Amino acid sequence: MALSTRETAEGGPAQPAPRRSPDGPRRTRGEQPEAPGLNVFSHGFLALWALMIVFPLVWIVLGAFKTDREIGASAWSVPSNWALDAFQRGWEKGVGDYLLNTVIVMAFSIPLTMLLGAMAAYVLARYEFPGNRFVYYFFVAGAMFPVFLALVPLYFMVDRLGMLNTYQGLILVYIAYSLPFTVFFLHSFFRTLPTAVHEAAVIDGASHTRIFFQIMLPMAKPGLLSVGIFNILGQWNQYILPLTLMQQQTGTDPDRSVLAQGLVSIMQQQGYAGDLPALYAGMTIAMLPVLVVYLSFQRQVQSGLTAATLK
Amino acid sequence: MRQGKYPFILGFLVAPVGLYLVFVIWPYLQTIGYSFTDWSGQTQTFDFVGLDNYTRLFGDEVFHNALRNNLQFLVFVPVLTILLALFFAFMLNVGGRGGGGVQPVRGAGLYRIVFFFPQVLSIAILAILFQAVYRSDGAGLLNGILIAVGLGDPASPVEWLNSPDLVRWCLIMVLVWSGVGFYMVLFSAAMQSIPRDVFEAALLDGASRTQTFFRVTLPLLWDTVQTAWVFLAILAMDAFLLVSTLTPGQYGGGPDHNSEVLATYLMRNFNVFGQAGYACAIGVVMLVLTLLISVITLRATRRDRIEF
Amino acid sequence: MGSTEVGRRDLFKRAAALGLFAVPGVAALSACASGGGDGGDVIKRGPTSKENPFGVTKGNPLDVVVFKGGFGDEYAKQWESAFAEKYDAKISHLGTQEIRGKLQPRFNRGTPPDVIDNSGAQSIKLDVLHKQDQLTDLTELLDAPSVDDPNKKVRDTLIPGTAEKGFFGGKMHALNYVYTIWGLWYSGKLFKDNGWTPPKTWDDFIALMTEAKKKGIAGFAHQGKHPYYMNVVIMDLIAKTGGLDAMRAIDNLDPKAFVGNDAAKRSIEAVYEIVDKGLLLPGTNGLDHVESQTAWNENKALFVPSGSWLENEQLKSTPADFDMAFLPVPVLDDSAMPFHALRAGAGEPFIVPAKAKNQPGGLEFLRQMLSKEWSTSFAKEVSSLSIVEGAVDPGVKLRPGIKSAVAAVDACPVEDRFDYLYTEWYSEMDESIRGATSELMAKRIKPAEWLKKAQAAVDKAAKDPASKNNKRD
Repeated sequence: MALSTRETAEGGPAQPAPRRSPDGPRRTRGEQPEAPGLNVFSHGFLALWALMIVFPLVWIVLGAFKTDREIGASAWSVPSNWALDAFQRGWEKGVGDYLLNTVIVMAFSIPLTMLLGAMAAYVLARYEFPGNRFVYYFFVAGAMFPVFLALVPLYFMVDRLGMLNTYQGLILVYIAYSLPFTVFFLHSFFRTLPTAVHEAAVIDGASHTRIFFQIMLPMAKPGLLSVGIFNILGQWNQYILPLTLMQQQTGTDPDRSVLAQGLVSIMQQQGYAGDLPALYAGMTIAMLPVLVVYLSFQRQVQSGLTAATLK
Repeated sequence: MRQGKYPFILGFLVAPVGLYLVFVIWPYLQTIGYSFTDWSGQTQTFDFVGLDNYTRLFGDEVFHNALRNNLQFLVFVPVLTILLALFFAFMLNVGGRGGGGVQPVRGAGLYRIVFFFPQVLSIAILAILFQAVYRSDGAGLLNGILIAVGLGDPASPVEWLNSPDLVRWCLIMVLVWSGVGFYMVLFSAAMQSIPRDVFEAALLDGASRTQTFFRVTLPLLWDTVQTAWVFLAILAMDAFLLVSTLTPGQYGGGPDHNSEVLATYLMRNFNVFGQAGYACAIGVVMLVLTLLISVITLRATRRDRIEF
Repeated sequence: MGSTEVGRRDLFKRAAALGLFAVPGVAALSACASGGGDGGDVIKRGPTSKENPFGVTKGNPLDVVVFKGGFGDEYAKQWESAFAEKYDAKISHLGTQEIRGKLQPRFNRGTPPDVIDNSGAQSIKLDVLHKQDQLTDLTELLDAPSVDDPNKKVRDTLIPGTAEKGFFGGKMHALNYVYTIWGLWYSGKLFKDNGWTPPKTWDDFIALMTEAKKKGIAGFAHQGKHPYYMNVVIMDLIAKTGGLDAMRAIDNLDPKAFVGNDAAKRSIEAVYEIVDKGLLLPGTNGLDHVESQTAWNENKALFVPSGSWLENEQLKSTPADFDMAFLPVPVLDDSAMPFHALRAGAGEPFIVPAKAKNQPGGLEFLRQMLSKEWSTSFAKEVSSLSIVEGAVDPGVKLRPGIKSAVAAVDACPVEDRFDYLYTEWYSEMDESIRGATSELMAKRIKPAEWLKKAQAAVDKAAKDPASKNNKRD
């Protein structure tokens, strides 16, 4: 692993060319007697799992085109309502706003998490000072805590700061709760970066701050990318924190629910005025941008995760 | 240079540590404090009751149930996810036969995209989706499939989430379903960092694919597996949204506490029964448990790193 | 609350001793550890009069939060604009399903709204709020002059027995505004097409469902994911079989409320017949209320239990010619109460928090709700009855379901109407009995065991010292 780390550190690709070589068949003599069976089995299993993922999703999206009766009649009822009225109803329930709120929060929380996390991790990983280990473990322990534990006091804290149902309040809380993991991960990453470059910069008289921003941070890019992905997925899925902190307080307070929170509230709402097609449509609307972003960036996502294994 | 070091360290640490103290550590400490009180959660008044909440936990059947169920989640979510993810990663990277000894199966890229997708779905979407999948009559997807292939009886459909035997497995499957892709990509990446020669050498030595997997791949991936285990354990500790929306009961947990987990029991005590102090004690138990698991996992799976 | 202060100080001392607060700087924060925000200025009462008994002064804000469920929240907005006009009040309106999520923190902080419609699955438990002195005593409201006739007290304008639902510790703390009846529901059209008559005895009930089953229609659907509904059937049958004494035994946590109570035994065995004879809609034990009620709307089952909000809730999925109709729970032989007896009572509790900033405004809002003008606008908007007696003009056109419900109420003299209170008083016991019912319906336990579980829940609730405060006659 040391080898690959160094390659990464030098800014090279995480997977050097030879490993991925599509350079034609290099036939070996092993004929692997069990291979065909295994192959059919494995192919079948891969295909089955893919089906298990795609099929329910397609099925439920089709539900947006059914009527309540058709949904209740049978799993195999054929959608009859090809109009988009369910989507309109779903949209009117605020899915668009929920998406927007989520994006606004994450547009700030993710970069700031990365910046603050990298700063702390860097200092802890590369500088000796009294209390270093203590601060490090102090951060790491936080990754283990169930969020439920903190909810009520946290609520008071945010309240006292006057930040309930505000973007900045949720952003700060997201950052704070993402720090343990971010510091933990980037700490090990910074430790693996070569010291030579750093030393050279010191000799050149560069300041600590400059070394961090101009040399170390760019070198840590693969690590930052993968932690960034972890954090995006983590914050995207937050439910209990926004549920506690992003609650409309009074009628004059705007609704700033984020996506997961908003969808669950639509789900509960439909318990009082049954409208499953609108729920499924709202869910589809919430899924579409994610699908587009994911498909456009899946290569980066996956290669970003690659860096995660190189610690 | 030297004199600038401490101001620099301080400058870099002050913001993250400050945020972390204010929003994470301080609330946790307060909660631990509350766990020694009879606080109702509705007002600011409470009395100190010492260890009463903790001693009460010992005799609380529901709590024991929740603990047991959590343990089941803690074991099976990581095990199933990791096994499937490893298997898929292995197949996608070196499982192919095609023209060479070691190469990905056909369509590996597509599989990778599809398998990972559930991970980017909001957990709320999973809740809506699986509510429909596990629906307890012929209109549910699973029952629909069983009936269509003749295994199910429309007159007595499987009540997936209302069955004491099935409900936990149903929930575990949702977590596995959504998590496998992520860990598959993680393991794939790790596998790709293993030089291909290692596999080919193994195959040249006449090792079967299964043997290659267990003797070569797995040991080389051990570090990653261990990390994955900790993440998954934490995920399994907190199945709150899924359990509370999918299963019967206020904040879920039904039928008859068969899917109760600590998080749902905590929330019910907090919000429905007005026993916030007790809820905080449950929270502290969760905290201790998660810490223990992390430490145990990291210790038990510690092995010598294999360098190559 | 002297003991509390001491308790808190103890707590921090103890915590400090444990080294919990070893982090520098946090000691300064401990002073305000649990909120304690006093919420700013409280609005004082102005001069009072018969027209303005609570001394509301003009120009103050009023903070209203209503449950936005089956009734929506349009009706409340209409009220609010009337109130705003009259008292020049600036109204803050919030309609939500998540009463608990949104308001629990505000109660904690000591800054609750002035008026709350605390309903729905996510409502805050009133017993808990009351225990914590968070609710304004509404006796004053009951004794205030009514809006329509200042010589009449508010309490004399209500349907008898409806105010009691909001009593905690012997005093009214919640105004349950909507008059609801509970029982079974069926499709008038389905019955007519098949020539069936609604059964009055349990035997006929079972026989009819058995006959329907032969025709491919399940007898009984219930909202399995929410055993609340099935409990309505069970508890109603117990009350009708054993009379009001059987009901009081449960509410008063009698050690023989279930085990050793013959009415309870016979009732639960009768309910179990539905399960045992396979008369349940397949899968109904796992369905939520929308799913099961929609299946019932499609004539997949004869009966479904619910309160009279059902029609409103199912508006979208009920076929135009469905002809929804109400049926009181059929009776066993030698039943203490007649067939027409039914559970009727007030629901949809409106409260004024004890720490509301504008308490006079909140009380006045509730008083106005009990005026003819406001209750009629409510009935028109949501087709439901309020607890104001005879407030609704007979000319208001009602849909078939509620019409049949009104007929059932008219057929039932006040002394044969009953209503349980344990659901309000003992949330944990309620939850445990629901769990037992869910097990019974899934055929995982037998009636005898249900009785044991229900009794255990009662006994546990009786152990809580707070239960001494609740007693009904």
